[in-house]
Amino acid sequence: MEKGSQEMNVLELKDFNAYYGNKKIINNLNMAIKRNKITAIIGPSGCGKSTLLLSLNRMLEEVEGRTEGQILFNGKNIYSISKEEIRRRIGIVFQKPTPFPFSIYKNLTYAPIYYGVRDKKRLDEIAKGKLIISGLYEEVKDEIHASALKLSGGQQQRLCIARALTVEPEVLLLDEPCSALDIKNTANIEKMLLNLAKDYTIVIVTHNLSQAKRISDYTAFMLDGELIEYDETHRIFSFPKDKRTKEYIEGIYG
Amino acid sequence: MRIGFDKAFIILIKVLTLFSLLLLSFIIIFVFKEGYIFFKEVPILKFITGTTWNPLSDPRNLSIFNIILATLYVSLVAIIIALPIGVGSALLLSGYVKERPRLIIRGLIDIIAGIPSVIFGFIGLMVLVKFFEKFFDFPSGESVLAGGILLAVMVLPYIISTCDETMDKLYRKHSPAAQAMGISKIYILRTIVLPQSLRGIVAATVLAFGRAMGETMAVMMVIGNAPIMPRLLGKCQTIPSLIALEMGMAEVGSLHYHALFAAGFVLMVILLMINVALYYVKRSLNR
Amino acid sequence: MMKRIQSALFALWISVSCVLTIAAGLFIILYIFIKGFKTITWEFLLSNPGGIPIGVEGGIFPAIIGSLLLMLISIVFAFILALATAVYIVFYCESQRLENTAHVIIQCMAGIPSIVLGLFGYTVMVVSLNMGRSLLSAGLTLGIMIFPFIQVRIEKAFREFSKSVLNASYSLGVSKVYTIFRLILPQCRRDIVSSITLAGGFAMGAAAPIMLTGAVIFAPAPKALSSPVMALPLHLYILSNESISMEKSYATALVLIAILITINIFAITLTLWRKEVKR
Repeated sequence: MEKGSQEMNVLELKDFNAYYGNKKIINNLNMAIKRNKITAIIGPSGCGKSTLLLSLNRMLEEVEGRTEGQILFNGKNIYSISKEEIRRRIGIVFQKPTPFPFSIYKNLTYAPIYYGVRDKKRLDEIAKGKLIISGLYEEVKDEIHASALKLSGGQQQRLCIARALTVEPEVLLLDEPCSALDIKNTANIEKMLLNLAKDYTIVIVTHNLSQAKRISDYTAFMLDGELIEYDETHRIFSFPKDKRTKEYIEGIYG
Repeated sequence: MRIGFDKAFIILIKVLTLFSLLLLSFIIIFVFKEGYIFFKEVPILKFITGTTWNPLSDPRNLSIFNIILATLYVSLVAIIIALPIGVGSALLLSGYVKERPRLIIRGLIDIIAGIPSVIFGFIGLMVLVKFFEKFFDFPSGESVLAGGILLAVMVLPYIISTCDETMDKLYRKHSPAAQAMGISKIYILRTIVLPQSLRGIVAATVLAFGRAMGETMAVMMVIGNAPIMPRLLGKCQTIPSLIALEMGMAEVGSLHYHALFAAGFVLMVILLMINVALYYVKRSLNR
Repeated sequence: MMKRIQSALFALWISVSCVLTIAAGLFIILYIFIKGFKTITWEFLLSNPGGIPIGVEGGIFPAIIGSLLLMLISIVFAFILALATAVYIVFYCESQRLENTAHVIIQCMAGIPSIVLGLFGYTVMVVSLNMGRSLLSAGLTLGIMIFPFIQVRIEKAFREFSKSVLNASYSLGVSKVYTIFRLILPQCRRDIVSSITLAGGFAMGAAAPIMLTGAVIFAPAPKALSSPVMALPLHLYILSNESISMEKSYATALVLIAILITINIFAITLTLWRKEVKR
C-alpha cells in the first residue's frame, strides 16, 4: 500500500466553494489539514461543516452536491484520482450509525473482500484487529457472527469506525460521531480517536466544544460557509483572534 | 478483474433495459397501429356509435356501440354490488380487528384476489347461471346481471384492500382520543372514519372499475356473447370477450382482424381515461 | 334516538358486508373442493386426456406440465428484464426525463388488457415471426404480461433500501456493482422472490393471453420450446364451455386452485415474515 508523501499537509483546500443546486454552502475556503493530527471543525448548525467533510472524500457527489476550486490530497487534485480510490484512502463515519444488515464479522470483511483479500485467516486477522483498535473486541468476541443490528448505538458506531479502518485509509473523517451517544460511549470513542491519531489523520466535525478541546490538535471555526479562524486548539480556545470566534465559544459556554 | 466484471455487468444492464423499454414501446405502438388501420377504412365515430356487429357480413359495418355499452354496464353493476360490501367489510376490518389477525386476513384477501378469472367464470357458469335458470325461470341464465355479480366478487378484494389501508390509518389516528372520551367504536367508524375515507373509497372504486372492464374469461363465460343492446337480464357482449371469441376466426390482416384491434384500442382509451381520473383523485388525496 | 337507529343500521351494514365477503370467499374454495375432490386420483393427475370428444376420459397430466412450464418461462423472461430495468432506473439512470418516460411506458403496459396482449402475441410471434403456437410464444406473451408487476415491486424494494447505509458502502470505496450484488440484492431477496412467485401465479392462471399463442385443446406434454402445450385454465374453459365433462371440470379447477393457493400462501408468508423481521 502506497504511503502518503511525507508532506505536512495531507489535505489542502484552495479557493473552495460548494453548492447544493444553486444554493452556495461554502464560500472561498482555504485550509490545510496536517498529517497525523486531529483537526476539529466547529461552528453553528448550517455553517457548512458537514458539507466540507463530505467534499473531502468526494461523497458530496452522492448527495447531489457541486464543488468549485481545488482539493489536494498529498499534493494531487482529488478529482484526478478515481473516486473509489479517494474513498479508500479517506474514510468517513457518519452521524447516525450505519451498520450493514449482516453479522459483525461480515461488516468488517465486506470491503477487504472487495479489494481481493480471499484468505480466511487474513480476513479473520483484519476483523479481529480492527475490533481491538475500536475497543469492541472484548465486548463482542463471542458473538462475532451475530447480527450487527443487535448491537447498541454506541457499539454500532464503533463498528462503523472499525469498518472504515478495514481499508487502511490515511485519513479518517467523522461527522458528529458522538451526537447520538451517551457519555460513556462518547468517552470510549474519544479515547479510540486519540489512539488512532498516531497512525491516521483525523478530521472531526463536532458541535461539542468540550470534545474539540479535549481531543483535537487543531480547530477550525466556520460560520455561514466561511472559514473564520483556524489555529492550534489551545490558542483558539484561550486567545481567539476573531470576535465571532470568541462569541461562539463563549456563547456555548455561557 | 473486478473492473472487467463490473463493466460487463453495467453494459448488460443497459442493454437489457433498452431492450425491455423498446419492446414495450413496440407493443404499445403496434396495438395502436393495427387499430388505426381500421379507422382509415371506417370513421371512428361510426365504429363507436353504430350498433351492428356481424362479422359475417361487410366488415365495414362493424360497430361496437352495444359492446362498449355492455362493457360499461357490466362493470357498473359489479361496482354497485361490490362497493357497499367492500366498504362495509373494510370498515369492520379497520375498527375491530387487531394487528396480527389483520395481516392474516389481508393475506387471505390477497389469496382470493389471486384466483384466476377462468375459475370465477367456471363457478359463474355452474352456479349463477344455473341458479337463474332454475329459480327464476329464465330461458337462459346468461346475462349482464350474472356477469355483474361475478365481477363484483372478483373486484371485492381490491376494494377492501385499498379502503382498508386508508381506513386503518384513520382509525388508528383518531380512535385513542375518541375512545378516551367514551365514544363507541361504531360511532367513530360512522362519523369519522367513513367520511374521511371518501377519497380513498373513490380511488378504490375507480381502480376496481378499471379492473372489471379489462376482465376477459370470467365475463365471457356467463354473459351469453350476444352483441345486442344490453339489458340487465339479457345477454350482451363486452369488448374483451368479443376479442377473445373472434380472435381465432379473423384472418390476420383482414378488416375484421383490424376491427378487433380497433375495439381493443377503444377499450384501452377508456381505461386510460379512467387511469387519468385515478391519478387526479390520488393527487387530491395527497393534498 | 335517531343516533341509535343510525348506529344500529351502520353496525348491521358492516356486519352483513363482512359475512357476505367471508361467505363468498369460503364458498368459492369449498365448492370447488367438494365437487372436484372425488375425481382426483393419481391416474387423473398423471395420465393424458382421452376419449371422444377429447377430455371426457383420462387425465390432465399434459395440462399440469404445460402450465408449470409456461409459468417457468414467463417468470424467467420477465424477471431478467424486470431486474435489469429496475437496477438501471434506480442506480444508473442519470436523467430524470428518461426515468419518467420509462415509468410511463411501464404503466401503459400494465394497463393493456391481457386479451390484447394475446392478440399481439398471436400476430407477431405466432404469425409474423413464424414461431407458431408454441410453448415459447405463449410463455413470452405471459412474460410480457407480468413484467410490469415484477418491475414495479423490485424497483420499490430497491428504493426502500436505506440511503444512508448505501452511502456507507460507497464511502468504503467499493463499486456500485459490488454494492448491488453484496448488499442490496441479498437484502431485497425476500421481496423479489415473493413478487416473482405472485407474478408466476398470475401467469399460470391466465387463459386469455395463451388462447391463441400456444395453448391448444390437446397436445402431449411438450418436448421442445416449439411444441404447442395444454394449460390448466384453457383446459378448464374447454371442458366446461363445451360441456365435455362436468366432473373433470371441477377436478381441473381444483388442481389449478390448489397449485395457485399454495404458491400464493408461500409468497404471502414471505412478505408477512419480512414485516415481522422489520419490527
